[in-house]
Amino acid sequence: MKCVRCLTDNAAKVAEAPDGSKAWEVYTCNRCNFVWRSTEEPEVIDPEKRDPWFQLAGVEIESIPVFSPVPPLKK
Amino acid sequence: MEGNSLRGFLEKLEQAGQLVHYTDEVMPEPDIRRIGRAAVDIAAGNTGPAVLLENIKGYKGKRVAINVLGTWANNAVMLGMDKDTPLKDQFFEFARRWAGGSDGELKWIKDAPCQEVKITKDINLYEILPLFRVNKYDAGFYFSKASVVTRDPEDPDNVDKQNVGMYRIQVQGPDTLGIQVLPFHDGGIHLRKAEEMGKALPVAVCLGVHPVISLMASAPLQYDQSEYKYAAAFMGAPQILTKTLTANLDIPAYTEIVLEGEFVPRERFVEGPFGEFPGSYSGSRRQFRIKLNTVTTRKNPIFENLYVGRPWTEHDTLIGLNTSATLYFQLRETMPEVKAVNAIYQHGLTIIVATDNRFGAYAKTVGMRLASTPHGTSYAKNIILVDGDVDPFNLVQVMWALSTRVRPQKDVIVIPNTPGMPLDPCSEPPGIGGKLIIDATTPAAPEISREVRMVDSIPEAEPYQKILVDLQKAAAR
Ligand SMILES: [Zn+2]
Repeated sequence: MKCVRCLTDNAAKVAEAPDGSKAWEVYTCNRCNFVWRSTEEPEVIDPEKRDPWFQLAGVEIESIPVFSPVPPLKK
Repeated sequence: MEGNSLRGFLEKLEQAGQLVHYTDEVMPEPDIRRIGRAAVDIAAGNTGPAVLLENIKGYKGKRVAINVLGTWANNAVMLGMDKDTPLKDQFFEFARRWAGGSDGELKWIKDAPCQEVKITKDINLYEILPLFRVNKYDAGFYFSKASVVTRDPEDPDNVDKQNVGMYRIQVQGPDTLGIQVLPFHDGGIHLRKAEEMGKALPVAVCLGVHPVISLMASAPLQYDQSEYKYAAAFMGAPQILTKTLTANLDIPAYTEIVLEGEFVPRERFVEGPFGEFPGSYSGSRRQFRIKLNTVTTRKNPIFENLYVGRPWTEHDTLIGLNTSATLYFQLRETMPEVKAVNAIYQHGLTIIVATDNRFGAYAKTVGMRLASTPHGTSYAKNIILVDGDVDPFNLVQVMWALSTRVRPQKDVIVIPNTPGMPLDPCSEPPGIGGKLIIDATTPAAPEISREVRMVDSIPEAEPYQKILVDLQKAAAR
């Protein structure tokens, strides 16, 4: 299914309320790692209502900066 | 030895009237965020209680603790003081304990409470723990108060080089964590060494520990100083540890929840944004990833997390006095005129130092010294110097000093283009900043000041405060 942040088809359901109440489900995107619960506010989980500042639609993962670069291997 | 545990501390808070049980049903979002925000907002971070949430929709039977060390009243309880203790007195008690150094005693036990429940397959953190989104635009559900344990892969038997650090962690999958560890952190040194060797670094993530462990995990200790030994010295009692099930890592034996796993070597994964302590969101970055293999917990564990965002929050309380005490001791090594340091604002982006003037304009040198300490180099942006008899934790007194001592043409110095703190939203480019030094001390010879006579402070008045407060309490009955 579609991720609400990067809008690619990389999201899936990973959990349901553990008490069996069916109160909510949790979804994750395995591309941008956004995680959300089905019961959150529309500004969080509705792509139309999310602040565009926080969207990652059209952003290449490789273009996102790295804070701790991978060091060269030492033999 | 519950005294060494989160539960033991919650009991102490309860006895002091600083713990409440929230039994009405709440949604994970946005209710827990709002309750955490409210708890710390009561009296501006001074008197609000810790909150134990016991009825979370979808997580029946699971509990969240929030604002455990959010307020100065709770901090006073941690220091064994009356919950009304003024902040300056808490600072001196904190500094006295801090001076105990790193020679505290460690003890190891087997069959520890933190391993009463063991989960080794089908780990799904979204179902095991009552997770919640801390701030609205965070990338997911975060651990904001986790103590992360790693060892130096080049010296794996060295307990002193074992690190306990507090890093922000996003639960990115049922058994997968994203974590921000920066290269200059001690944990970052362990990770660099492991990646140079091409090895997966074992890690334990501890959730729900005594606040002194959290305090040490978030303190800038030296590389070969043990956070556990520091905690033991600070508490005046041995730290009780146990070994993780899958690696040679030491964890507090009474931890509520322990996540064991390994860092994925030589790969980075998208993490963030996350609402950070300056009250702004960090951006998205590619960061380290942890794959879990084991989860152990106490029976009926408490998931502890903290609210962080627009100050004042528990993050500020947690790091406030250790930042202050570290700078206080560093300054006093060569400048015994320094009387107290208040670095509680945004991890020390703004700092107030109380100091006597050894000679004319000496306080400005104290300011420059502060700006060149390891922490002050990138923090310590706004430095305010007040006289030694001014309480730097009492903003009424600090404002009085600014009003009556500062000669703008002589006492305000701006140093442009110095190192800055990247999380400071006005550091531009991130990592570059400036210094502002305001000298609000009374001029000393050979500097010449106008002849005035100040009204004395009246130390003899202080004992009367207690008498009047007691009379007031009696009158209210
Ligand atoms: Zn996505």
